[in-house]
Amino acid sequence: MTDYWLSKMFYDLQSAEMTQAWREDRAAVMQDYLLSDEMREAVLNDDIAAIAPHVNAYLLRFYCAICGMTDAEFIDSLQPLAETAVASDG
Amino acid sequence: MAELIGSFAASHAPLIAREWATLTDETRGIVIASYRELGKRLMEAQPDILVMVTTDHWVNFFLNNLPSFCVGVGPEHDGPPEAFLKPHFPHDTLPGHEGFGRHLVDTAFHEGFDPAISYRAKLDHGVCIPLWQMALKDIPAIVPVFINELEEPMPTIRRCFDWGKLIAKAIESFPGGQRIGVFGTGGLSHSIGEPTMGQLDVPFDQRCLEMFGGADEDEITDTLEDWLPRTGNGAHEVRSWVIAHAAMGGQGFDLIHYAPLFEVYAGCGFAQWRGTT
Repeated sequence: MTDYWLSKMFYDLQSAEMTQAWREDRAAVMQDYLLSDEMREAVLNDDIAAIAPHVNAYLLRFYCAICGMTDAEFIDSLQPLAETAVASDG
Repeated sequence: MAELIGSFAASHAPLIAREWATLTDETRGIVIASYRELGKRLMEAQPDILVMVTTDHWVNFFLNNLPSFCVGVGPEHDGPPEAFLKPHFPHDTLPGHEGFGRHLVDTAFHEGFDPAISYRAKLDHGVCIPLWQMALKDIPAIVPVFINELEEPMPTIRRCFDWGKLIAKAIESFPGGQRIGVFGTGGLSHSIGEPTMGQLDVPFDQRCLEMFGGADEDEITDTLEDWLPRTGNGAHEVRSWVIAHAAMGGQGFDLIHYAPLFEVYAGCGFAQWRGTT
């Protein structure tokens, strides 16, 4: 299910000023968004597989890029979702 | 009245700009040759106005206000906001066409459509990578038509056909004698921010290209509605191609080039529809 505030934070991080603020103190930036404890924890722990089901895939890619992840690292971080999908398919 | 002078489509993978300096010569060669041929054909058609059908990549719209369709009606639009694209395409602004933009919206309302409007849109890589790579001598006035191809729920393929026909009708009823082209950007197969990111669906691409060459509306609609949920999320941008196809009346098309360019994470197609030009 889409998490509006998590998505809004990622959307806002597209501005250079917000990106800089994020890199300096992500916890401070997060205070401005009504994030659930679960999502706050997932972001702080860089748990991309936990975040992914709750945000648009394009916004997630952008977010991971500004966090300094390479595309290869990003794709690796998403693989638990593929394993979950295979498991639920049978 | 204005004249529909042609319909075109091309992919717009952002890595074409972001990774331009490090792409292999082979990939760069394909990209340059394909876009340049498209640009040559477009310039030969001498458009005064170009209706560019594209998705918005979280630049103009967000979840608090996400139109399914939005038409740019202003006299001027903003150039690309992406830092990776500005060095390649350093246009702070691009010309719009308020007369045709407004006429398209009026025609839409009259015909039972309800698009949102933008008096000043940011034109992201979806519009600006093709414009950059086609190396047009003069950029025609751009009337952007944004379609939500990014976030569910998205417009049906049937509705995209209707939009293509609507755009053609608006062109043919616009007084003034301008030459107007339609350009769909996006696709073909790609996957972004999913576990399959980087993978392509070449059979999907090939089926799309085959269908645009001669399949009827029902076959294209049924095939895409069935296949799109099963392939990478970027393939939803094929809706832009459907609109370009429908605008020209589905009279078949010339595939300029197709290549599964894994380096830029996209099945890249470049095409011109046949018609009255």
